[in-house]
Amino acid sequence: MTGRVCRGCGGTDIELDAARGDAVCTGCGSVLEDNIIVSEVQFVENSGGGSSAVGQFVSLDGAGKTPTLGGGFHVNLGKESRAQTLQNGRRQIHHLGNQLQLNQHCLDTAFNFFKMAVSKHLTRGRKMAHVIAACLYLVCRTEGTPHMLLDLSDLLQVNVYVLGKTFLLLARELCINAPAIDPCLYIPRFAHLLEFGDKNHEVSMTALRLLQRMKRDWMHTGRRPSGLCGAALLVAARMHDFRRTVKEVISVVKVCESTLRKRLTEFEDTPTSQLTVDEFMKVDLEEECDPPSYTAGQRKLRMKQLEQVLSKQLEEVEGEISSYQDAIEIELENSRPKAKGALASLTKDGSVEDTTSSLFGEEDAEDEELEAAASHLNKDFYQELLGGGIPGSSEAAGGPEGGGRPPALESLLGPLPTAASLGISDSIRECISLQSRDPKDASGDGELDLSGIDDLEIDRYILNEAEARVKAELWMRENAEYLREQREKEARIAKERELGIYKEHKPKKSCKRREPIQASTAGEAIEKMLEQKKISSKINYSVLRDLDSKGGGGPHKEDARPQERAGARKLSRRKTPASRSGADPVASVGKRLRPMVSTQPANKKVAVGEALLPSPPSLGAEPVRPTAVVVESGPVSYHPEEDADEEEPDEEDGEPCVSALQMMGGDDYGCDGDDDDGY
Amino acid sequence: MDADSDVALDILITNVVCVFRTRCHLNLRKIALEGANVIYKRDVGKVLMKLRKPRITATIWSSGKIICTGATSEEEAKFGARRLARSLQKLGFQVTFSKAIRAADTQGFIFVIFTDFKVVNVLAVCNMPFEIRLPEFTKNNRPHASYEPELHPAVCYRIKSLRATLQIFSTGSITVTGPNVKAVATAVEQVYPFVFESRKEIL
Repeated sequence: MTGRVCRGCGGTDIELDAARGDAVCTGCGSVLEDNIIVSEVQFVENSGGGSSAVGQFVSLDGAGKTPTLGGGFHVNLGKESRAQTLQNGRRQIHHLGNQLQLNQHCLDTAFNFFKMAVSKHLTRGRKMAHVIAACLYLVCRTEGTPHMLLDLSDLLQVNVYVLGKTFLLLARELCINAPAIDPCLYIPRFAHLLEFGDKNHEVSMTALRLLQRMKRDWMHTGRRPSGLCGAALLVAARMHDFRRTVKEVISVVKVCESTLRKRLTEFEDTPTSQLTVDEFMKVDLEEECDPPSYTAGQRKLRMKQLEQVLSKQLEEVEGEISSYQDAIEIELENSRPKAKGALASLTKDGSVEDTTSSLFGEEDAEDEELEAAASHLNKDFYQELLGGGIPGSSEAAGGPEGGGRPPALESLLGPLPTAASLGISDSIRECISLQSRDPKDASGDGELDLSGIDDLEIDRYILNEAEARVKAELWMRENAEYLREQREKEARIAKERELGIYKEHKPKKSCKRREPIQASTAGEAIEKMLEQKKISSKINYSVLRDLDSKGGGGPHKEDARPQERAGARKLSRRKTPASRSGADPVASVGKRLRPMVSTQPANKKVAVGEALLPSPPSLGAEPVRPTAVVVESGPVSYHPEEDADEEEPDEEDGEPCVSALQMMGGDDYGCDGDDDDGY
Repeated sequence: MDADSDVALDILITNVVCVFRTRCHLNLRKIALEGANVIYKRDVGKVLMKLRKPRITATIWSSGKIICTGATSEEEAKFGARRLARSLQKLGFQVTFSKAIRAADTQGFIFVIFTDFKVVNVLAVCNMPFEIRLPEFTKNNRPHASYEPELHPAVCYRIKSLRATLQIFSTGSITVTGPNVKAVATAVEQVYPFVFESRKEIL
């Protein structure tokens, strides 16, 4: 409160007149305050004779509507950012909510969630649409409406997992526990979509019972509720003699065909599926089933056990086989006719498995080591080969068949390939030696401890010259696209740099605001502006340029004529053109032009138009074409005879007459519609 | 519940991720050209190097930061990282044995210093001998557990104090991720009683 102490006399007796809004000191009479803002209610008289209070309704949320003069296209101007955000959010929520057919209560709740989210800064860094969708879905969950997240993602064309992430975050931050989805909620909705007609209710009830059965049979944990619904509805429909194909159900329920089939198969496995329709309606089986993934896991376990048993048996058989092989080999050797001379020296009588390597001949003494290694490895090879074959066979394979396999394979394939013949002897050696090196690699303490690190192996990682070249070649070929793009980009940047109009490209959204035109003269500015806006190619730029020029009456007729006309008008002025060697009226026109030009280049045309028309009022056909196009703007004196002449030889023949304002894009007075981005 | 009595759950560590720095700029092009086991991704500016011995994959940036994934234990991760530094050394960058200070060498080589080794993430898998009722479990553990069957079939249980996340499936298998092995083990111990409550009794 003001006016406790008077400035003049120091007295404290201040009188406040509310009606006049004054604060006056009663001691010395000096007025301390004038035009105090009062909170009185004022009344005005209506046309009907009654009186009503003066005032406006202000909304609780924001700062209230600021009255805009001249149209409401600056709706968001003048409000603070938070209010804008909330208003925007509210609008979007209503828009989305109406598409989902949510009632008003839900929408209000969603808006409350949104307000909470904004106050916790959860909208930062996230798309507004995502946050809105998450709020709406949260409401759907708490209210229990049958809307799926998939519906929302359909509407927004956004990946459902992205929405899900946002939703989870929102629920966590707002500490709202969304109740779990019950697939039973979706049944009425899908049933309606599948159009069962009169029996809709019955089918729904049957489907519900099926679902409950599924729940007890542990089919519903971890599964999408919509998939379960689909399966239940399909079965229920068939039970009531409705022919609903899988495709129809899928299109309604939005799951994949294979998912649906899988659910049906799982259901088939449960004992409930064995009941007839009537039995199902009456009886409810007591026992529960295991979840399908559990049974699958059990099956795998059983397979593994079988494998182990079989491999044990294999080992026993192995010994027998090798003894058989030895015997056979010896027999063959003895019975084989002596090889021809040249080959005889080359053939070796190695161990059994080297029958093929004997054909290769050239190997030396080191081969014997290889052979030992190879024979050792081949045993493993057998086991793996056969063990790999076993799980493929049915479980009924059993022992005897497994035992019968190895000899069959052997005879069919002939001598199995050895390590040497495959040429992988090197890597086998490496593997063996690596295994022996393993115990040495204890991790030591301390800084780059090289104790356990084997340099040889690391050396193998380094390519030599030729290999490096080949690799570089390959890489270049593979990434040719990318490299080419990079080169083009660089070339482009270099060229632009030369021309001096290189702009640093930031990878942001391009803002619509155009750069203000930098021009040295008004004429240049007009040109540039017209170029940008691409209004017309038929404008005579030279004329425009000369409009503003002080001196230099150009060699253009059009220019000369206004000069002379203007000169003809007034005698006093004629001197000045002579003295200044330039059209003074033009200069005066120019002067008038200039203030308008500097502030609003967009309206240059207007200014030019209106400036020129008054100046040579008695002119005939005004040859300055572009200004002739201006129909009306501002304070233009109307010259019917001139206008008639001017407008006819209009170059824009096909075009309807538009005002300059409209041509230049009407509403941009400098804030080019980027208000929406500004929250 | 007799949660801690005789249950010996084996927690299997499947992945350990670690980072370390070499305090010097690395020439990715050179590494890419001369290494046999590298993939050069020029568009993102990194090199992937895979080692066979501790089976790890390392992502190398030119700033000298290296991320190592694929190891199955913390020691192995450290070992693999050291091996990696060693191979970088062999490629022409000189490695010092000093951990902290960048020692100046008379010959003026670039020094690869093995510093800031840190295990960042450990991923482990564990199997419960029973199945779990997920909706019930979620209800009982409201703030920590979140279950969205439309999105993912498992319950996501977060322990803030340990900075660990567990994904609990209805079959009883649990996937744990945490900052180190100890945290992972503690997390499993912590969650076991809750999971035990909501188990499905085998009839």
